Amino acid sequence: MLETLQNLAVGFSIALSPSVLLYAFAGCVVGTLVGVLPGIGPLAGISLLLPATFGLDATRAIVMLAGIYYGAMYGGSTTSILMRIPGEAASVMTCIDGYAMARKGRAGAALAIAAVGSYVAGTVSVVALMFLAPPLAAFALRFGPPEYFALLLLGLLVLAYMSGGSMLKALAMAALGLLLGMIGIDQMTGYFRFAYGVVELGDGIGVVPVAVGLFGLAEILATAGQATPPDVIKPKLRELLPSRREWKESAGPIGRGTVLGFVIGIIPGSAHIISSFVSYALERKLSKRPEEFGHGAVAGVAGPESANNSATSGAFVPMLALGVPSGPIPAVMLAAMMVHGVSPGPLLIKNQPELFWSFIASMYVGNVVLLILNLPLVGLFVNLLRVPYPILYPSILVFCVLGVYAVNGSVVDVWIMLAMGALGYVLRKLGFETAPVVLGLILAPMIEMAMRQSLAMSDGHYAIFVTRPIAATLLAVGLLLVLLSLKSLVTRSLDWRARLALAEKGEGHP
Amino acid sequence: MKPARLASLVVLALVLAAVAAGAQEPYPTRPITVVAPFPPGGVADLTARPVAAAMEKVLKNPVGVVNKTGAAGAVGMQFVATSKPDGYTLLLALSSISIIPEADKLFGRPPAFTVDQFAPIALISADPTVLVVPADKPWKTAKDFVEDAKRRPGQISFSSSGVYGTLHMAMELLSHAAGVKFRHVPYAGAGPALTAILGGHVDALASGPAVVLPHIKSGKLRPLAGWGDRRVAALPEVPTFKELGYPDAEFYIWAGLFAPKGTPEPVLARLRDAVRAAVADPDFKAGMDKLQTPVAFKQGAEFQQFFDADARRLADGVRKVGKIETK
Amino acid sequence: MLTTDRVAGGALALLALIVLWESRRLPIGSLRNPGPAFTPILLALLLLVFGLLLTALGARTGALAAVGWTEWRHAVAIFAACAFAALALERLGYRATTTLCLAFLLGVVERKGWLFTATFALALALGSFYLFDTLLRVPLPRGPLGL
Repeated sequence: MLETLQNLAVGFSIALSPSVLLYAFAGCVVGTLVGVLPGIGPLAGISLLLPATFGLDATRAIVMLAGIYYGAMYGGSTTSILMRIPGEAASVMTCIDGYAMARKGRAGAALAIAAVGSYVAGTVSVVALMFLAPPLAAFALRFGPPEYFALLLLGLLVLAYMSGGSMLKALAMAALGLLLGMIGIDQMTGYFRFAYGVVELGDGIGVVPVAVGLFGLAEILATAGQATPPDVIKPKLRELLPSRREWKESAGPIGRGTVLGFVIGIIPGSAHIISSFVSYALERKLSKRPEEFGHGAVAGVAGPESANNSATSGAFVPMLALGVPSGPIPAVMLAAMMVHGVSPGPLLIKNQPELFWSFIASMYVGNVVLLILNLPLVGLFVNLLRVPYPILYPSILVFCVLGVYAVNGSVVDVWIMLAMGALGYVLRKLGFETAPVVLGLILAPMIEMAMRQSLAMSDGHYAIFVTRPIAATLLAVGLLLVLLSLKSLVTRSLDWRARLALAEKGEGHP
Repeated sequence: MKPARLASLVVLALVLAAVAAGAQEPYPTRPITVVAPFPPGGVADLTARPVAAAMEKVLKNPVGVVNKTGAAGAVGMQFVATSKPDGYTLLLALSSISIIPEADKLFGRPPAFTVDQFAPIALISADPTVLVVPADKPWKTAKDFVEDAKRRPGQISFSSSGVYGTLHMAMELLSHAAGVKFRHVPYAGAGPALTAILGGHVDALASGPAVVLPHIKSGKLRPLAGWGDRRVAALPEVPTFKELGYPDAEFYIWAGLFAPKGTPEPVLARLRDAVRAAVADPDFKAGMDKLQTPVAFKQGAEFQQFFDADARRLADGVRKVGKIETK
Repeated sequence: MLTTDRVAGGALALLALIVLWESRRLPIGSLRNPGPAFTPILLALLLLVFGLLLTALGARTGALAAVGWTEWRHAVAIFAACAFAALALERLGYRATTTLCLAFLLGVVERKGWLFTATFALALALGSFYLFDTLLRVPLPRGPLGL
């Protein structure tokens, strides 16, 4: 313990030296700039900017990457809240209530809550990372395909709480998303599924172009031509900060989101993407007024934003403790370390303590820098809403195309975004919500792969799902949740869904 | 004639003159793009960047790396295969360049590209894969491992970077050379495959030496044998399958530079010279040392020979695997 | 009566049938060893059920005719501009494509003055290129003559 603190002090002395701090700052600025591009979240941000850090020494490069990482994540939330354009797959949930808040004139509050939530989640999870990494990492590695399958199955249950409308519609949309996720090379056998000779579809339909299309582009298609363009929102200075009630309502979600995100995040693989979806569902389940979700509930911004942030920090646990590329972002960070001659691995902490601890310290510093940088910028960002829509939307379109193209350098992705924009526009007109499509698309390939890998491991015996303790526990929890919801279906005739429908009827909505 | 129009005509004439003059200047006269068909941070990308930087010094023109990713590299490779053969679009490819067309053929689909659409420039690195098992498994030597696999066909499992991926092919070559059968659990990339063996979810993995070296040192993984024609420098006590009597189990994860077929010979010669100078560059050497990737420079006929032999082995391997059975 | 749910349900069911038909070429495998067609068929059957249920239960939702499509002209114009961008991006390069797109949307669709249109389009196209490509080294496509 004492040793840890001493090491941390050394780390801070490196991270806070002016020449290093400058790079943390630059990283945050650059990360935010790139993250504002639709579709570019922390992963794409780090990948795109990685080459720019090759010229620096190891410490500066790692510190700058940590800054880019936090900046890109926050930049993504900004566009989600202001323009309903998800910066990455994980901020899809922020789009829903964040944008609804913005339309009500609470954009400043939403941005501030997102910034503070991310800050709290980031800091807490770095502390957890520092003290709990070794034991947690060993546990995380026990997550093999069967455990992963059970976890993702639990993730599917989340759907029930995601949409405010009819459950049947949400399920249909999820099935559509899951089917979209089937496109591409079958990773177990090498068959091309539904690709029709388009090589670019080999890796499947990317989540980024789908999310940007279904949310951002569909929104523009639906609003740009309205006879009365959306009002220009003129935020007043005193309305920039969240009200006392908003703070109170976000405290719980931030705390829960932080823990939930961290736990999901440490599991190797890409499950961290679903943390924001799970957090949203959890908050809606716990909320006293679940009907507010989708219409600007502050908890619907605070929870997912915190969960997303701590999940991506949690993903560093196996990487730092064991040197395992346990997810896409840690894999890029590991590569960055290798370029600088740092040999990542289980001995990293022992062999190169100053680097390890300056990385940890720079994660703290990056978080603080981001907060200092972004709270004042909230006022500036919110002023974007003053731009008249006929000028704003063409500019947004340009950035959508730019961002989606830049992620993979692929025009096919731009076409996917267009097709999804048209689909999202029509679905919106017909009264369907599109978030379940995105969740389905994320889950489908992972869940299928995990199931078939498990069967390959067990030579086709389904017993593998119940004989491994973690998988069995997760499946039992899922079963329990299903039974509980069935019980309420029988005993209580009116749940919040029915209340919501009644309330809407009373207001005279269709 | 108005002065403005006259001025624009003069400018146009100057531009045309410049273009005409440019056409006579020796290659290269403008920036060169090296396509890495895998995302930043991968082996292709990490090799491409120091090479590009070192070539820039020689060619006196910017050499940039662009990542065109997708479909296990097929997207970027197809992009270069169909680019103009003028020496301004190059490809940094890995071993999978010979696997993808063969897998396409196997499934009867129009190939995204074929190997003969490329003109090899130079081989930059070649690293034999190494067989590792979790340290708590009973096999102490490759002989134990193969004998156990013979006793229990289809029971010993291995993870790979994906079906028909490089790490899968290495194991398949071994399985055919030794006449044994393993159980294949594909993962989505080399990273997840490594995580799987460290978590104890599979029994074996064929991997590039650099990524498993730290885990061997920490005692988590045990190396049994290598696929090279000689031992890995960092693991001098680990034998090769060749020494153990399986000469067909030879496999390298290599990285080489290619141009589209039809690139004029003088341009290719200039590029070969540039790569030769680049691999001798101290900055480049230092960069590759950090990645722990040994430089294995080959060019011209020598590279062509290596490339052809490798492509033959892999094509053969893919055919032997055949379509994955689903009973 | 044609309601929104019925139309959507019908379309989803139709899509499910197409997927089922298209899956015929892929091996389905077995329960113990699922093949590449296994999951798509399972999911398509689910979608078929949901689509049919929507059609059956969708009588009470809003009529299709009641959905307003007043903004369709704008939507089509915006869509066309984006399609042009996708086609032109790697042929004309980022700067030319973006300038043309913005000019079309601002000048033709939104009828802003030509001076404003030209200035804004050029400034945004060149500015964003300079920021992302030149400064941040995010590679963006260049057109003929290095534009």
